[in-house]
Amino acid sequence: MDPGPPLIAVSAAEREAVVGRWLARVLATYPEQTSRFLAREPDRFRNPVGHALREGLPLLFDEVSGAFDVARIEGVLDEIMHIRAVQDFRASEAVGFIFFLKPILREILAASGATLEALDRRIDQLALVAFDLYMKCREKVAEIRVNEARQRLFVLEKAAGRRM
Amino acid sequence: MSETVPKPDELVQIDYRPPVRDWMHTPVQFRRGTFCYAAAPKNLKYLEMPNPRDWQPMDEDWKLPENWREIILEGMRERLEKFRSFRLFMDICVRCGACADKCHFYIGSGDPKNMPVLRAELLRSVYRRYFTLAGRLAPKLAGARDLTVDVLKEWFYYFYQCTECRRCSVFCPYGIDTAEVTMLARELLNLVGCNINWAIEPVANCFRTGNHLGVQPHGFKDSIEFAVDELEDLTGVRVEVPIMKKGAEVLFIMPSADYFASPHYYTLLGYLLLFHHVGLDYTVSAYASEGGNFGLFTSHEMIKRLNDKMYREARRLKVKYLIGGECGHMWRVIHQYMDTMNGPADFLEVPVSPVTGTRFEHAASTKMIHICEFTADLIRHGKLKLDPSRNDHWKVTFHDSCNPARAMGLLEEPRYILRNVARHFYEMPENTIREQTFCCGSGSGLGTDENLEMRLRGGLPRANAVKYVRDRFGVNLLTCICAIDKATLPPLLDYWVPGVEVAGVHELVGNALVMEGEKPRTTDLRGQPLASIQPPEVTHA
Ligand code: SF4
Ligand code: SF4
Repeated sequence: MDPGPPLIAVSAAEREAVVGRWLARVLATYPEQTSRFLAREPDRFRNPVGHALREGLPLLFDEVSGAFDVARIEGVLDEIMHIRAVQDFRASEAVGFIFFLKPILREILAASGATLEALDRRIDQLALVAFDLYMKCREKVAEIRVNEARQRLFVLEKAAGRRM
Repeated sequence: MSETVPKPDELVQIDYRPPVRDWMHTPVQFRRGTFCYAAAPKNLKYLEMPNPRDWQPMDEDWKLPENWREIILEGMRERLEKFRSFRLFMDICVRCGACADKCHFYIGSGDPKNMPVLRAELLRSVYRRYFTLAGRLAPKLAGARDLTVDVLKEWFYYFYQCTECRRCSVFCPYGIDTAEVTMLARELLNLVGCNINWAIEPVANCFRTGNHLGVQPHGFKDSIEFAVDELEDLTGVRVEVPIMKKGAEVLFIMPSADYFASPHYYTLLGYLLLFHHVGLDYTVSAYASEGGNFGLFTSHEMIKRLNDKMYREARRLKVKYLIGGECGHMWRVIHQYMDTMNGPADFLEVPVSPVTGTRFEHAASTKMIHICEFTADLIRHGKLKLDPSRNDHWKVTFHDSCNPARAMGLLEEPRYILRNVARHFYEMPENTIREQTFCCGSGSGLGTDENLEMRLRGGLPRANAVKYVRDRFGVNLLTCICAIDKATLPPLLDYWVPGVEVAGVHELVGNALVMEGEKPRTTDLRGQPLASIQPPEVTHA
């Protein structure tokens, strides 16, 4: 399915303001000292969590205001959800950062009526995608746990199989 | 810095002084997935360690001995006298914060108490309260606090959340080694029976049968014979592996996972081919059947007890020297503790390669060399027939395991070997390798499945760098020289970087070795078809 046309025109300044505020709020879900580190350390290898958010959130906002291409959204969200799925968050907290976008858009964008409703619907949908990805990550963790135990006895099992 | 980052003036200066109320008064929550289970009483009894009982960290009552506080404080006093480094580490930290963001657990979890400076502060605050004048007189001002059950629980949580990897110490201008602080904190916890099963069970097993899994001599022999048979199926070459042969030149000691776990097992096949290829006069032992030493994660006394068997077996078998396999923390023990604890091993000889004549002077005291040193030297002297095209199906990168890299400085040899046995080798970014390598997140006894979530957090920085070379160069194999890595990196990558497998360096050596009398090799040691099945292109490195 072709992604649709942009929902709302956003200036560069508006984009910067929205994304900056959103990032600051997401970083605030971490303890204070940590949010500063996540915001400040520019090296992507020293600061993978901050990097994923800094790179990812602007792209997600572009999709919400623009074409809303679900495949692209999943690509970007996947990394962020992998991180939040194993950090110290409840499911609602891991996904909830998506909803921070709603009040921010109201404050910054000159949107109203149908456009605003459409933006809200997209944010809801984004949260559902995030939740699916979150669940996939949790299932993966459970699956890994089971597989791991088997590898540990690999040779003993193999040798036993051969002797039978 | 990208334009979306909040402006610096929106953010206050980072302050690495512990926020007094916050961290000192928030008791830890034991959430499933983020801690290791307690040691089973049978294992503690076997080792004659204190306070064996049924308990778990999430229980309210930890069933501590009545005088637990006195025991810990007395243990602290004793150790402050015995280890000068301990007192120094307690006194000299200036809270500069250079170490703060260097710990993989902090980077991945965002939990401030995983900053090395705060981790050590958990212990330091108690030290100040009972062992410094300022702390006794004005505890609040001095950042001192009473030793309570909550504090003990916090110690347990965070000192079993440090993999003793020493990355932080690389950055400390004073050379404070937080890994050693963790070691001492664990030693204290052990005095009142607060230990984890994943560390204590291997210790107990090792003490009983010589290896972590408790494999007995006949099981050991079975596994080795099984490998010999498989190797014959794969290569057409039958190798001989002498077990406990008296008078052999070399005693070879590997981590036990090499002969029972995957993917370690393929590394074992590699060693066996190599030794056969150069006709090494060696032996393995069912008694010294473990390179690993989980004593390192328990107490100094335990390190010594477990390490002792290496020397004893070397003496009994009358070998000349030892070669050690692809094991991580074994090398920290050998390099930093063995000689003073159980050495000097005067009855052994300085290792000399029987093939090249190279004398390994750096091991003049311990009489033990790393298999990568042995192999790199063979390659350097053109003693191995290699066909690196047999590893063409792999695009390889190398993870510096913490201990060989930071505790013994083994940085070049594995890379030199890899470049000679494979044709596609790519380094991960500079600040994630060599001395700055990121830990697998599962070392020091934390690699258990109940702790998986914490391990996935701690392993994120490592996995993130692997992802970079996968996406950029198509890397599909992460090589390493540590048994814990080989066990714990596959699940880590499965979560963060699917499609990248894990192998030992000597697995690739085994693939590339052109053996005399071999049948045409159509598969690698895993039984996977080779990328191009052509007559071997032999190079003498
Ligand atoms: S030794 Fe490693 S795990 Fe422990 S605090 Fe330092 S960096 Fe973290
Ligand atoms: S780098 Fe060293 S002196 Fe600085 S805070 Fe860390 S442990 Fe303390």
